[in-house]
Amino acid sequence: MNTDDLIAQLSTDVPRVRRHSVGWRLGLGLAGGLIVSLTIVVAVMGVRPDLSVAMHGFSFWMKWTYTISLSIAAVVVTAQLARPDSARLRWLWLLAIPVALLAGLGGLELLRTPPGEWLAMWLGESWMVCPWRVLTLAAPIFVGLLWSFRRLAPTRLRAAGAAAGLAAGAFAATVYCIHCPEVSAIFVLTWYSLGIVLAASAGALLGPRLLRW
Amino acid sequence: MRANEDELRGLMIDGLDGNAGAHTSLLRLLVPLLRSYYRRHANGSADDIEDLVQETLIAVHTRRATYDRDRPFASWLFAIARYKMIDHFRRVRRLQPIEGMEELLVAEAFEGASIARIDVDDLLGTLPVKQARMIRATRIDGLSVAEAAAADGLGESDVKVSVHRGLKSLMARIQGGGR
Repeated sequence: MNTDDLIAQLSTDVPRVRRHSVGWRLGLGLAGGLIVSLTIVVAVMGVRPDLSVAMHGFSFWMKWTYTISLSIAAVVVTAQLARPDSARLRWLWLLAIPVALLAGLGGLELLRTPPGEWLAMWLGESWMVCPWRVLTLAAPIFVGLLWSFRRLAPTRLRAAGAAAGLAAGAFAATVYCIHCPEVSAIFVLTWYSLGIVLAASAGALLGPRLLRW
Repeated sequence: MRANEDELRGLMIDGLDGNAGAHTSLLRLLVPLLRSYYRRHANGSADDIEDLVQETLIAVHTRRATYDRDRPFASWLFAIARYKMIDHFRRVRRLQPIEGMEELLVAEAFEGASIARIDVDDLLGTLPVKQARMIRATRIDGLSVAEAAAADGLGESDVKVSVHRGLKSLMARIQGGGR
């Protein structure tokens, strides 16, 4: 096709674009994925029976603070990688804050616990399944983000895939908190984070293939 | 006519606000820009270049929502152009020398690239200023001899001689002295 004809054809369809349309698009994809993950937790894994009591306790909010702040930081990075001119990433260091805080908390916890109980505290009841469940719950959220990316323009596909996987993992961990009864900081720091990292790695592997446009 | 950043950015923003006329003018102004960009960097046939220009126009149109009104237009545009170039040559599975490759690899090999760039800067620093500038213009920035000559107000043969002498003494330095 002749380039002038192409331009004429493209010019017939010029809708108005809202200022924060990238954010909206990502938000919609995330929300869609979150609904599916939430449904899986409620219908398949089950909400922890003591949720309303736990919500008044420290450890529940420690977990949520960790996973939610990680989610926000991951979305901030993902939103940058959704635009083509993403050579310089800002706010990447935000990701380190929740990890550092939780690690500090874990250190305090170890100091207050006799060394004989450390292993039990670290492994909890569910260390073998926790990372895999987080990864499973991340899948629908990642698919939601893939839908978002279909209208966006990432140019660093592996990094964008990793960031989307990280965001999906962190949100999945947030949802998983309403099922998981574990209470220790080092449990969350290890096994939740492992699930989130698995999701980010899957995103990095899939990014170059699925995010091309 | 060469459009400048402010003009292009203004048209882009008007287009995002729904002004189809501004959007059309923008796409028209981008054609010569993209043609010269791909001629300089992609090193392909005329058909390849025109394919790339069209693919990029389509991308600019369909992904216009990813432009942030507060950021420079040129860097958004050329990020898309570069991406389309890499994607195009990956798809047609042909190995083409892509100039500015070190820039493209920044994400994966930042260290290596910066070391290479420092080496180049060091080496060029050992040459007379004119020779260094001409080598930079013709061999690194990708200008033709005629363009480099025009830019510096020199004769074409002068540019050629400077580049030739400069490269020769660089070669001597690398083979002889540096370990």
